[in-house]
Amino acid sequence: PAVPCVSDGLPKPTNITFLSINMKNVLQWNPPEDLHGAEVTYTVQYFIYGQKKWLSTSGCRNISRTYCDLSAETSDYEHQYYAKVKAIWETNCSKWAETGRFYPFSETQIGPPQVALTTGENSISIVLTAPEKWKRHPKDNPVSMQQIYSNLKYNVSVYNNKSKKMWSQCVTNNTVVLTWLEPNTLYCVHVESFVPGHPRLALPSQKQCVSTWEDQTSALK
Amino acid sequence: EFRFGPCRVENVILLELWEAFRAVKDSVQTQDNITSVRLLKPEVLHDVSDAESCYLVHSLLKFYLNTVFKNYHNKRVEFKILKSISTLANNFIVITSKLRPCVKNDMLSIYKSAHRRFLLFKRAFKQLDTEAALTKAFGEVDILLTWMEKFYHY
Repeated sequence: PAVPCVSDGLPKPTNITFLSINMKNVLQWNPPEDLHGAEVTYTVQYFIYGQKKWLSTSGCRNISRTYCDLSAETSDYEHQYYAKVKAIWETNCSKWAETGRFYPFSETQIGPPQVALTTGENSISIVLTAPEKWKRHPKDNPVSMQQIYSNLKYNVSVYNNKSKKMWSQCVTNNTVVLTWLEPNTLYCVHVESFVPGHPRLALPSQKQCVSTWEDQTSALK
Repeated sequence: EFRFGPCRVENVILLELWEAFRAVKDSVQTQDNITSVRLLKPEVLHDVSDAESCYLVHSLLKFYLNTVFKNYHNKRVEFKILKSISTLANNFIVITSKLRPCVKNDMLSIYKSAHRRFLLFKRAFKQLDTEAALTKAFGEVDILLTWMEKFYHY
């Protein structure tokens, strides 16, 4: 059982927010100010909007880290949630610091797709695989974010290293073939996933660069 | 375009609605202290058939226009909230003006099913103090938009 502490004996943790990517929902906060060197621990609780009680989570009671993975507790993404954390040091504890209302379905950031490139003489074929939703267990069947957001689209950006020109195109399909490219030229590609209609932060994929083949006619000479 | 079953609504930009709400989400939801009550409960919006959707969205948007946004105007609120309400209300007027819920007899059971859902919402609203209910309903516009988005075709 939790040891009783003197409430309001400590300043509250600050900047408490959810960092959510592909429905992996991690609560994070900053330590209370002016407690340098103190061995502060934290306890987290969460609340489902529309229900009655604050709930504890066994993995985040008296922890010393400043984050708590609440993905399992907030996995029903059509619900809305609150979370709160308090600081504890010896027999003192802070008041609760609370998040705003967190709505996974409309606030989670969509991670970048997997990007596979194949080159030709004047073309590059791009195959995109939608990011996976957070899984409770590694062995669980993967759920694609596309199954959750059926209107998921991709913003493909291509950079010609020779002409130093960049262009982007919005695609819905998982395969894009870039044609009429210059032979023997290095092209760099990065891709973002996005859901139209929702203002969200974009997370671009790692830049990948490939070169188109040499011009086959000149190669034969 | 929105496709609520047989009802079609064009020229509404969903991003505009989201941005209008996002601008005030934190301040409005922070004012809602009754976190144990959710007006747009799962039972109101889950598994709504296409056929029901036109009736339900028509009732909900009319309620937001005639009760929530209208009464919010009488409250002393920040300008950014009035601006957000104005954008949402204008778009809701466009949507409701283009919705033509069918009134044929063979649709009566579907209409009744949609109406039961709406009454769940309305009853929960009426059970609260008016000020609290207005704030809560406005704070749940993100739930409403998320449901409406399922009927939006890009």
